[in-house]
Amino acid sequence: MISGQMMKYRGLYPFPPSFAKEFPPIAQVVEEHCIACDRCPPICFFDAIVMENRPGHKYSRTAVIINANCTGCGLCFDACPVDAIIWIPDKDGEAKPKTASPLMEDTDL
Amino acid sequence: MSLTTSFLGLTLQSPVMVASGPASHDVNQVRLAEEQHAGAVVLKTACSDKYEHMRFWPRPRYKLLDWDKQMDGRSKVFSLYSYEQGYSGTLEDYWKFIRVSKEHAKVPLIASIFADDAEDWADMAKRVEQSGADAIELDISSPHKPGSLGFETTFVAAIKAVMGAVRFPVLVKLAPSPELLHQCRVAEECGASALTLCNRLRGFDVDIETQRPILHGNFAGVGGPWAKYYTLRHVAEAALVSKIPISGTGGVMSGEDVIKYVLLGATTVQILSVIMVNGWESIARINKEIEEYMQRKGVTSLSEIRGKALQAMTHPEEIIRWSGEPKSGSRNLWKETGEQE
Repeated sequence: MISGQMMKYRGLYPFPPSFAKEFPPIAQVVEEHCIACDRCPPICFFDAIVMENRPGHKYSRTAVIINANCTGCGLCFDACPVDAIIWIPDKDGEAKPKTASPLMEDTDL
Repeated sequence: MSLTTSFLGLTLQSPVMVASGPASHDVNQVRLAEEQHAGAVVLKTACSDKYEHMRFWPRPRYKLLDWDKQMDGRSKVFSLYSYEQGYSGTLEDYWKFIRVSKEHAKVPLIASIFADDAEDWADMAKRVEQSGADAIELDISSPHKPGSLGFETTFVAAIKAVMGAVRFPVLVKLAPSPELLHQCRVAEECGASALTLCNRLRGFDVDIETQRPILHGNFAGVGGPWAKYYTLRHVAEAALVSKIPISGTGGVMSGEDVIKYVLLGATTVQILSVIMVNGWESIARINKEIEEYMQRKGVTSLSEIRGKALQAMTHPEEIIRWSGEPKSGSRNLWKETGEQE
């Protein structure tokens, strides 16, 4: 059963796992700009942003995108106060996953 | 004191339901909703094969407009501007999604579908019933629905076809419009079991720097905490004339908002944006806020206060008005003209 830390989102793969490789995720954190304000992890509905330590830096932590979870939905862009989350456009404007299946089989139940 | 609500013959542990959308796209999300004591879950809308292109979502598909970075999800003025499409799997995936969700969760499930031909509507509704959903919502008013499908031309036939094909409860989801009340009446006449009021409106926004429409470049659904004011009005209007239960939805951010919908006659209330911006815990928080209100007001069941505010509505002819002459119009004109009354 689901327990422990409550997360907004768990286990959903709106795109096949190969999708992130084939069409790279479009959200990326410019780590030099990140001020560790902790605003983006809670706004991400897909649990695709975590804070990681970076010892020695002025801000001791930075946001990092988990590529496998990022659906490129765009929610995090407006939550960032310093525009540290940037946009990597699709290489191919027509890019689509080859299969539209959400891969129910992969869901860990 | 109990939040238990009877809706469409189902016993819901809370009047708060998860609305159709990105928070009901997956089996695990159904279980998360159940864990937070949601009353029911309306699953993401599945589109017929004819609208297969709607299973693909543009990137990005959301933009938070007027988002207050200081306030985060506590803001009451933001808009969620989105061009989210239908369920991203095939119809076979969707039936399986319903089946598996039903196996793994006890929370009542309301499936949601979209099509154009009455035949497709009926076929899909039958499959939903066979898959084990507790009810079905007909999403005839999505802000992203393709083409120029009209209520009279397409969807009346669709409601009739579905009603003839299935035996379980059918909800009809309508959007705010001047014809909404008429559409409520028609849906009721066709035999709908309940109304879902209201869907989001189709909106639009432009970036003045690039001088181009934002996001994907076309109209998009727009909703947010401010949207409750017109949906509250539509719920009130519909509740005054219809005999079937109403599931209110739009702009609910807190227990207070749920109480408002209930006072205006809604039986259940659907939430979504608040889950997206504030997390799944919002469901439990809203339930708690409703309970606190009930305790404070000495209410043991929400059915005691359902529609109470409707009875206190004032008819336009009975609104007390004052002439207001001394203060309005060409006020203080006498000062300039020197005329004395």
